[in-house]
Amino acid sequence: MTTESSNNGSLPGLLEGVRVIDLTHYISGPYCTKLMATLGAEVIKIERPGSGDPIRQFGPALTPTPLPEGEGQKWDGAWFLYLNTSKKSLTLDLGSDAGKDILRSLVSSAQIVVENFAPGTMDKLGLGYSDLEKLNPSLVMTSISNYGQTGPYRDWKATELNLYAAGGLMYITGEPDSEPLKEGAPLAQLGAGQTAFVATMGALMHAEGTCQGQHIDVSITDYATNILENAMMQYSYSGEEYTRVGNRGYGRAAWGIYPCQDGYVGIISGPDTRWPEVAGIMEREELSDPRFASRNGRLINADEVDALMLPWLLDHDKVDIFKAGQEAGLGFGFVATMEDILEMEQLTARDYFVELDHGAAGKLKYPGAPIRTTSSTSPQSPPSQGGEAMGSQSSQEGEAESSPLTTGEPQGGHPTGQAQDHWVYRRAPHLGEHSEEILGVALGHPAAEIARLRDQGVI
Amino acid sequence: MTTNNNSNNADPNQPLKNYRVLDLSRIWAGPYCTKLMADMGAEIIKMESLSVYDSHRGPINPARGIAAYPDGEPGDEPWNRNGWFNCLHLNKYGITLELTSETGRNVFDQLVSISDVVIENFRQGSLERLGYSYETLRRLRPDLIYVSMPAFGNSGPWQKYLAYGIGQEQLSGMAHMTGYRGEGPMKSGINHGDPITGSHAAGVLLAALRYRKRTGKGMYIDVSQQESAVSLIGADVLAYQLTGEEPPRRGNRSPYFAPHNSYRCAGEDRWVAIAVTNDEEWRQLAQLVGGPELAGDPRFATLAGRLENEDQLDELISGWTADKKAYDLCHLLQREGVPASPVMGGPDLLADPHYAARGTFVRVNHEQVGEKTYPGIPWKMSATPGQVRWASPTLGQHNRQIYGDLLGMAPGDITALEEQGIIGTKPTGSRII
Repeated sequence: MTTESSNNGSLPGLLEGVRVIDLTHYISGPYCTKLMATLGAEVIKIERPGSGDPIRQFGPALTPTPLPEGEGQKWDGAWFLYLNTSKKSLTLDLGSDAGKDILRSLVSSAQIVVENFAPGTMDKLGLGYSDLEKLNPSLVMTSISNYGQTGPYRDWKATELNLYAAGGLMYITGEPDSEPLKEGAPLAQLGAGQTAFVATMGALMHAEGTCQGQHIDVSITDYATNILENAMMQYSYSGEEYTRVGNRGYGRAAWGIYPCQDGYVGIISGPDTRWPEVAGIMEREELSDPRFASRNGRLINADEVDALMLPWLLDHDKVDIFKAGQEAGLGFGFVATMEDILEMEQLTARDYFVELDHGAAGKLKYPGAPIRTTSSTSPQSPPSQGGEAMGSQSSQEGEAESSPLTTGEPQGGHPTGQAQDHWVYRRAPHLGEHSEEILGVALGHPAAEIARLRDQGVI
Repeated sequence: MTTNNNSNNADPNQPLKNYRVLDLSRIWAGPYCTKLMADMGAEIIKMESLSVYDSHRGPINPARGIAAYPDGEPGDEPWNRNGWFNCLHLNKYGITLELTSETGRNVFDQLVSISDVVIENFRQGSLERLGYSYETLRRLRPDLIYVSMPAFGNSGPWQKYLAYGIGQEQLSGMAHMTGYRGEGPMKSGINHGDPITGSHAAGVLLAALRYRKRTGKGMYIDVSQQESAVSLIGADVLAYQLTGEEPPRRGNRSPYFAPHNSYRCAGEDRWVAIAVTNDEEWRQLAQLVGGPELAGDPRFATLAGRLENEDQLDELISGWTADKKAYDLCHLLQREGVPASPVMGGPDLLADPHYAARGTFVRVNHEQVGEKTYPGIPWKMSATPGQVRWASPTLGQHNRQIYGDLLGMAPGDITALEEQGIIGTKPTGSRII
């Protein structure tokens, strides 16, 4: 397992040398800057003196954060720990002139600013894009907000629930006769953070090529609508509204989540040519009935198909069902619990988790690089050998025999495995942990002045 | 904004205007990655096979009445008329090429040699079996960035397994945390695994292009769609280690905010989402729902009290919303400082004044579909806004342009490729999941 500060090799982070001033809090902005930080950028997270990012107090806690005298202790929760790996924390009172001066100095030295305050907040502080671009014309400033920096709902308040709803994703999630349902994870905010990361990278490349900076407006609800391909396009093309279908696929049957002996599995009944395999796996000859042979036939007879599958499913374990499907070339899944994920053989074999130590409470396993990068100069491993022999040699889409893309013998030559080369992991910072380092080293403030700023509550 | 099909008006001020991507990816995860790059001006050459075209185009002979086609009418060339495909390939060039013949492979080699990026999301090893690995592709283009994104990555015991976005919701833990209280896990209405992976891949790919510009080094990018998806539930993975407790399914409720749910409104399947995040917001909402008596009720004054009595609160609020219009409620509640939003369906989104004001959606003319509304570019960039320049390509639409103008092939040679069935515009087969 990869551990603290290690990136499995001597390669620099892809974004080494890029300085990011991170004025984000809660979820969307911090995920954006987490991606930058773990790719090697120097991300300086600016936090309010005393309390810091409010999400420090969300979720189960690990690390005590001392508060000003008389206010006891607060605890850094799981959300903060995960979303702020590899960042530095500087406390700064942006309401004070001294705090603003420090921020301006930092912005002058940086390539990127990311913020997710309510629209207009930065302008009111005198730190809007129009102010900051004067200090740094090639600056890329990215603002993430609920509904964007413009439009009639600009100032609407929201939680993930509201954003998932207004973005169109909620209306199509859940049972048709029950209320529309949001995801358990805050996927609208996290996805907007990803989108901001993509746009910021593009703008950074542009700025480095042209010295032209810019302001990027990322709206969480715009992001949600951007991934609403099914419902939105169906309505756009035919005027027919997409509906909730519970756990059955839209216009499909046997395409979703079913209970099994020890949890839940994902049954994927396609493509049609593979449906006979399902009958074979489940040892139910009745499933081979020609009435069920086509996608539409299964849809019309959905209840009957379910009733035939269920006894076998309830008699088998999720991982066994998953593998039985996969070995037959079917894209089965299973509903993984957190325990399953931490023990999943595939993730372990690929050395996915990164162990970071937060001191007192010990070490935790963090999900590692979402994408593996291996530069062409790193050592090449022999062709991968890990796969079990599969019944088919099919493409991602599932079928095989006639595919021009699936003939011939494996040639090898991919680098494998140890591929977190360009990612850098450090535990999330304590509140203000790097204040002195940043003011002293990066900005050259003498120790006496740092002490004065601390006394004044600026940091 | 309306754009003309195939107008090809290259925008000179685009961050990625100098980058070319040979895009073999299909369905959604890969195409979403290259869509984001196209939105910033990259030249995306989407390459398909006539026998196994991108299955998102739908079957060769679909039933009539499927709503993904304009007015449910598949038409003579349904593979060019599917809305689910046509929203993901705006701004891309479309070519076809068969890799089964030596001639086709020579053309492919030429395409690779002039591309900055090759991206594919075939099942693991599919391209390798044709003789194309990162190492062989690098011989054609030494600083190539090769993005391979099979379901579970290119190593490990599950590398040959396949999964779609729906499966990634399950295998990443997302489905485990989603569902009504006391009931089983629930899939999302979309398949979140795909856009999550597409976005991760796009961002890292840009960082890799930037790195290449500074170092001259290409890169092999190995994407496990599953790892990408697990990255979004990291906080819950940590929380489980801290508490030993699996995250419960909470429906729409939250451990931090109450009340927090969707409530039925007047009309057919109309709903409003209301989220109270502090005591002051509760008093504002309570004043509207039950007057001073409810606003002053000590049982609900604190978050702990509201969480304890949440069933009762949901019932009270549902009773209040049931005969009101969702949009009216949102304007009323937002005026009082209470977070609320309509649960928007397709008609709401396309008519909504906020999205209209922001230009979130675009009108694009497609030669076989006419003018329709599509999701636009998911960010607003002040200096390089970009635009949707043309519609998703029909199958092989840009063969002449790419093989002729870009590779410099003579018209007669292109015709020869067509006659040999190596390129073309009519599918010879399809494989649909």
